[in-house]
Amino acid sequence: MTDLDPANINVILATDCGSTTTKAILIQKVDGQYRQTHRGEAPTTVEEPVADVTVGVTNAVTEVGELAGRKLIDENGEVIRPASGDVGCDIYISTSSAGGGLQMMVTGVIAEMTAASAKRAALGAGAIVMDTIATNDKRQPYQRIERIRELRPDMMLMSGGTDGGTVKKVVEIAELIPPARPRPRFGSGYQMPVIYAGNKDAAETVTETLGDSVALSVVPNLRPTMEVENLAPARDAIHDLFLEHVMAHAPGYDKLIKWTNAPIMPTPGAVGDILKTIAQRQGISAVGVDIGGATTDVFSVFPGADGEPVFNRTVSANLGMSYSISNVCAEATMPVILKWVHFDMDERELRNRVKNKMIRPTTIPQTREALVFEQAVAREALRLAYEQHKAFATTLKGVQQQRTVGDTFSQDTGGQTIVDDMALDLLVASGGVLSHAPRMEQTAAMLVDAFQPRGFTRLAKDSIFMMPHLGVLASVHPEAATEVFERDCLIQLGVCIAPAGKPKPGKLCFKYQIDGVAADDEFAEVLHHSGEIACGEMKLIRLPAEQEARVRVEPARGFDCGAGRGKPVERKVRGGTVGLVLDGRGRPLDFEAREEVAGWYEALELYPE
Amino acid sequence: MPHHPTRHGLGTLLFAVAATFPGLSFADDAPGDAAPPASPPAPPTDIVVEDRPDDAGDGLVVRWTLSKDDTEDADPRTVLKYVVERKPAKGGEFEQVGESTYKQPEFEDEVDHGTAYLYRVVAVGRGDVRSPAAESTEAVQPVLQWFNGRRAWFGILLLVVCGSVVYFIQIARRGTDLYIRPIAGLEAVDEAVGRATEMGKSVLFVPGIQDINDIQTVAGITVLSRVARTVAEYDAELVVPTARSLVMTTAQETVEAAYLSAGRPDAYREDDVYYLTDEQFGYVAGVTGTMVRDEPAACFYMGAFYAESLILAETANSIGAIQVAGTAMPSQLPFFVAACDYTLIGEEFFAASAYLSGEAHQLGSLKGQDVGKGIGATLVVLGCLVLTATTLFTVRGFDVGLLTAIGDYLTQNVLGDGGLSR
Repeated sequence: MTDLDPANINVILATDCGSTTTKAILIQKVDGQYRQTHRGEAPTTVEEPVADVTVGVTNAVTEVGELAGRKLIDENGEVIRPASGDVGCDIYISTSSAGGGLQMMVTGVIAEMTAASAKRAALGAGAIVMDTIATNDKRQPYQRIERIRELRPDMMLMSGGTDGGTVKKVVEIAELIPPARPRPRFGSGYQMPVIYAGNKDAAETVTETLGDSVALSVVPNLRPTMEVENLAPARDAIHDLFLEHVMAHAPGYDKLIKWTNAPIMPTPGAVGDILKTIAQRQGISAVGVDIGGATTDVFSVFPGADGEPVFNRTVSANLGMSYSISNVCAEATMPVILKWVHFDMDERELRNRVKNKMIRPTTIPQTREALVFEQAVAREALRLAYEQHKAFATTLKGVQQQRTVGDTFSQDTGGQTIVDDMALDLLVASGGVLSHAPRMEQTAAMLVDAFQPRGFTRLAKDSIFMMPHLGVLASVHPEAATEVFERDCLIQLGVCIAPAGKPKPGKLCFKYQIDGVAADDEFAEVLHHSGEIACGEMKLIRLPAEQEARVRVEPARGFDCGAGRGKPVERKVRGGTVGLVLDGRGRPLDFEAREEVAGWYEALELYPE
Repeated sequence: MPHHPTRHGLGTLLFAVAATFPGLSFADDAPGDAAPPASPPAPPTDIVVEDRPDDAGDGLVVRWTLSKDDTEDADPRTVLKYVVERKPAKGGEFEQVGESTYKQPEFEDEVDHGTAYLYRVVAVGRGDVRSPAAESTEAVQPVLQWFNGRRAWFGILLLVVCGSVVYFIQIARRGTDLYIRPIAGLEAVDEAVGRATEMGKSVLFVPGIQDINDIQTVAGITVLSRVARTVAEYDAELVVPTARSLVMTTAQETVEAAYLSAGRPDAYREDDVYYLTDEQFGYVAGVTGTMVRDEPAACFYMGAFYAESLILAETANSIGAIQVAGTAMPSQLPFFVAACDYTLIGEEFFAASAYLSGEAHQLGSLKGQDVGKGIGATLVVLGCLVLTATTLFTVRGFDVGLLTAIGDYLTQNVLGDGGLSR
């Protein structure tokens, strides 16, 4: 860790070692403010023939250095620190998802309770959870042993039982591990790390049971009582073991660990950290999504049952835009995807398109038709990933409820989702199909159609996927991380205004009035006008990112824009590269006619001729 | 008849004086009664005897045209009543079978099935003077009807409800997903048993304090089956104290079957389903003692409960258990709702079986019954509206013929006995 005073940090170098590309960015203090100034990238070199991750890092950093006119790498191929003049940087930080990231298995007693908590801890730390073993997973012991053997996780997290709770079942699960003789993927010479975060009364017996077969770390119970979830010790242990065991045995990482001023974090964990930092600092609820070729990650920060912000992350392993595109089509079904395509398409041609994308994952759409289809698939992939996320980001199960007679007809069960679309303030998009859409309007439309935000929601995109870098930076210099996040990381797309309710064709959905002081004459008219949005109608009002405005919305009877049905709402909003998206389609979104979709696309200027 | 206001007024006066001065005495016959007997009224005419409809062949209806002297303007009335007499057609004397007051040209007579009768009607005036009798000319025999037409509405309702049940069973069998709103108490079974498993504690199931002939106990045993299955799958511990020996036997077999279907017959222990006592508060003392000693993490109360409901729920609440209750006892529901985590209320409790099993015929029956309840509720609302509207419009002088007819039908047939009590 760095001992530098944050006030003296002027030049920050950050890298993210992905599976295929290593990305480097340079953050410098410009006029007293931290700005991301340059970026560069190079192929990742963790695999053979190079088999040294630092080579790729050096190449990417060299590119950044050349662009910035700053020498960052010395003659020995190492990062120069501290900065002086045009040479070196003050701190260097890095994240890594090379070699498939951190792959874990988690165990617990009940799948929906301690095992779910363990899964939340692992996902929150940035891992990919390969499988969850629990006593109620309806598998025989030999099947569980076989599974541990097959999957070869980098690490295991064991949980189960409250403190003073069941010992028998926790030990039963522990007994599965020694016979499985788990072998980690990297470094055949070391023992697989296992974190035990279950019933403290069972720790000793579990230690005896596991013996020398694994490298066991015991941390405080992540579910000390059914009512409390304490994920921090398990998450910290995952980060520590990721460095000590997993990374230390991956090619070149031993060198990279020595270079960095802060521990190397798994990429998704870092993304979660920056989102959490921003949500806490600004007091908002936020959702971030990263859609890739094989998987889609969704991150969220919403208030939990006790009102404290809770961070959740899910990895939808089978929802992606290339390797997993067939699965998206199977899960969402072709007719549902085709609802988003506003012209006739031959189903046979569509199937060919899907299979081509699967076997040639790096191809990008060459025609307008291909683009529309790909974005239709993206809408459904995002929608499904968000649904999975909602099902996972819940209040705790197995918690005693306090009732009054007033609850007679409204008895909610535990495990209700904490994701509240109406409370969502910021929706951040990243990943190829969203970041590299030809038009910003298309990114905004995909977000609105897939996530169906309600009320007022800011839309933004992280075009160069800078969030991982900023996540690590947040642990060293939160102020710098926040400043760069706001100014350079996010491209503000605009604000979506969408009342929730069931639309009635031809009826009014809401009235709006926009007021503000125009910074530019071009927008003077926009800033003093009012209008009406009918049910099923969409409208785009151009408002630049630097322009603020007050928007008053009066929803029709039966529609809620955040203050209750039919009650007016007034908010200060900031524009973006797209502007204000006024959505009168109601929530949840339900439509049949293709003509409607064509009208929406036209209103949002998605695919101009 | 001649009008005698003076004599009539004198009689009234004498009565008033007698009432005021009880010591005074008068002759037995008042001056009015001493008058000569009046002449007999004109006889009724056109006597018609018909079979009474919608009955079991045990009634006849006699109708006639009123006597010419049975008029509104006669004061005092010339005709005071009609006397109806009958005799079997095979022979015998006429016997009086009933009376009908003036202005009522109809009489319903209860008769023996299979016998034909002849009738005659006599108008009776003041001083019991009788008109000549009007006689029916043809003997009439009552006829048995297979259906009571006045209960047609019930038949239609029955057909609709049964038809709905059959229809919903059919569509459920075809694979259509019949929506039943989530019942939180049943959804929470996994959660409660899971909590007990994580905490290494037992699950306590109380099937009420009534015997197995109580439908609530039967519904409770249905839920027990589901709870036992989940307990077996989670490998937790289940304790079922009972207050009736027959309930114990039923519960033992249910739990055993549930363990077997979960593939864990070895985990079943017969001694965990045991009998305590028939005595209400003795049973409660036993169960609460178990609660305090063993501190189960999940408690289920499914069946008929009385005063013990709050004692059980408060005791389990004090040991921090998740509690799920289900009963159809309206007086105990508020206690359960306030003290338990989840409560199955009345119908929800009985719907549990269909909800848990998801079988086509049970789901179809549940949906069909919902249709019947919907029709019942609609009729109640409709009846209230019709009767209210009839009253309001009558006061304002509107013609309410149709509304009155609907109202009469509802009150006499749907709400009334529809002729069943005769």
